[in-house]
Amino acid sequence: MSFISNASGTFYDRSLTQLSALRDNAENFQTQIATGVRIQRGSEDPIAASRLRALTRLEVRGETEEQNAARLRQDLEESANQISGVVDLIQRARELAVQGASDTQGENGRNAIANELEQLAEEMFARSNATSITGGPLFAGTAGGPAFTRAPDGTVSYTGNSEVGTVAVAPGTEIERSITGDGLFQFEVDGTPTSSFEVLTNLANDLRSGTDPSGAAQGALAGLDEALNAANRNQTVVGTRAAWVEAIEDDQAVRAINIAEKQSEIGDTNIADVIIRLQQTLTALEASQTTFTRVSNLTLFNAI
Amino acid sequence: MSTDILRIGQSGARAARASIEVTAQNIANASNPDYVRRSLQLEEFVASAIIDYNPSDALSGVRVGAINRPGNEFLTARARDTAADVERAQADIAALRDAELGLEQSGLFRGLVDFEASLTLLESDPTDPALRTGAVESARQLAVTFQSAQAGLTNARDLAQGALEAGTRETNNAATELARINTELTKVRQGSASYSNLLDARDAALRDISSEFSVSVEFDEVGAATVRLVSTPAPSGEAGPVLVDGVNANSLTATIAADGTASFTLDGFDFTPVSGAQAGRVSALSDLSERADTLDAIALSTITRANNAQANGAALDGSPGQPLFSGSDASTIALALTDGDGLALAPLGSPAGSSDTSNLQSLVAAIGADDGPIAATDRLLLSLSSRISGLETTREGLSIIANNASAELLNETGVDLDQEAANLIRLQQSFEANSRVMQVATDIFDTILGLN
Repeated sequence: MSFISNASGTFYDRSLTQLSALRDNAENFQTQIATGVRIQRGSEDPIAASRLRALTRLEVRGETEEQNAARLRQDLEESANQISGVVDLIQRARELAVQGASDTQGENGRNAIANELEQLAEEMFARSNATSITGGPLFAGTAGGPAFTRAPDGTVSYTGNSEVGTVAVAPGTEIERSITGDGLFQFEVDGTPTSSFEVLTNLANDLRSGTDPSGAAQGALAGLDEALNAANRNQTVVGTRAAWVEAIEDDQAVRAINIAEKQSEIGDTNIADVIIRLQQTLTALEASQTTFTRVSNLTLFNAI
Repeated sequence: MSTDILRIGQSGARAARASIEVTAQNIANASNPDYVRRSLQLEEFVASAIIDYNPSDALSGVRVGAINRPGNEFLTARARDTAADVERAQADIAALRDAELGLEQSGLFRGLVDFEASLTLLESDPTDPALRTGAVESARQLAVTFQSAQAGLTNARDLAQGALEAGTRETNNAATELARINTELTKVRQGSASYSNLLDARDAALRDISSEFSVSVEFDEVGAATVRLVSTPAPSGEAGPVLVDGVNANSLTATIAADGTASFTLDGFDFTPVSGAQAGRVSALSDLSERADTLDAIALSTITRANNAQANGAALDGSPGQPLFSGSDASTIALALTDGDGLALAPLGSPAGSSDTSNLQSLVAAIGADDGPIAATDRLLLSLSSRISGLETTREGLSIIANNASAELLNETGVDLDQEAANLIRLQQSFEANSRVMQVATDIFDTILGLN
């Protein structure tokens, strides 16, 4: 006996497969809409999942670099404040030196100038050991201790080092953290190494001792000019660096948006697209369910 | 003569009623997946005799013959094999998806990235105690994450091993059942209803076995099955070791090695299945064993890189750096350094409180290197999800083939309700027609008796 038969079981199996496939699709779309995420697990799109991981890493790194840059900017601003204070101090000291050079000053006047100069030296010493918000020395390079220490005899010496740590603020961009105290306060006058502290203290001592105070004051002017030069130079360096950090922060913001856009492009549900496809699937599912009921009612047993 | 007519009518009515019974049986079993549609074989019955060289015959109606059960060995084998292939892909995917879930949910990649970030953050101020504590806590989190990833993988492997053992038990049960059916088949008459019933049970047992292992089946003259599990390696000249031969069923045992891979022994022969759910599980277990090794290697690389950097550096108090992690793999990794001050960010020999970050930079570079743990974790996840994605594509293709094979087999052997309804009407008419024949015979007889 040979005839073409369409077993009832085949019809039900086929309908079941088709309906459940449509249902799976609809549920998948629904999950995408509900979570807003296109890829629920890596195996749905391995390459996109790997790219998302790379983007996550970039995003986290970007956030870290933003924090680093913000911190660096604070430190640089603090350094700039301190240096600007130092510049003011040296300018005041220079005014005092000019006054001291005048022969019209009496001994009292010179003593007063010497006192003020000593105060200025004291304040400069305090500023040279300024610390960042977290308490680290600003001008000691990478050394942990204070930048300058004062010996019992009053000589101030640099105890930091000349290494400046760098901070990574963007891929491939590392900015030096600060400037070192030796460059800021130490210089040479006529080939002799000296420091801002030494110039101030020596001037005060000379004025007080009274042996050719005007000559000493005249001589100190050269040292003060050098001190001012050093401070100004470093102020420019710090200012430029702060401007650089700001430019990089703008850059970081743009990059963060860029990364977020790419993440969204790869990993987020395209709502409009998915809703339309969900609607399409639902229509097909409803139609299939209706036709399934109709066709399954088409049995000869209804006619018997 | 008229008694002949009566007998013919009676045999016809009996044949029609027997056919209706078979049709009713078909309808009743329409939704039974193991049932193969039956039909009744009818034969013309002629009584003949030879007297004086003159043949003389008498028409005697119809004889009810054997119950036919259409069977197509080729289609059945094809349906079995294609279903076994789908089962294989399915079992493989199920186990790997568990592993994928475990690895992705553990957040290992994110843990490594966060660890890298907490270290990079230290570059801004290496002496800040808050940042140092943050980095150590991030390392602690990373150690926990490694253990949870490892637990996820172990869980997936345990599930697959459990399924493998359950599948082996089911196969052994089905084999015992098949051996019993083989015994019964030799005892019942071919063409009887019980015989067809036993063949249905035989095919159901074969289907159960072949969903776990792909099989090579031979039938003898009574339909008893000899089953071999298709394997690599195979005994020479055969498809695989014998599971059921006539009335004997061999016992199958599964062995899970120390490294988590599985193998089988049957009839004194060690083998790996070629298809079926068990083959999928074996392949998944060997895959997961490799993934677990990779995860351990990533953990070890994290431990080594971090500890090497520590050994080359000085802690905040200037002392030589102590190891950051203890342990040697993903399950034993633990934080060894509890104090943030112990992080050796400055190079060895630096004074206390140094804010030199050159050693920190080499640690960050080691963790983030192209052959470092972050990149290796990405590769681990990518290769696992790519494999699942590939298997899913394969499974879709295999499903289409298996559905087609099963539909073809059902067309050959399944019950078609429309066909049965038509048969029902036809047989009902046939029964009525035969009754009419008997009535005609009675009328003729009465007519003859009424002759005066």
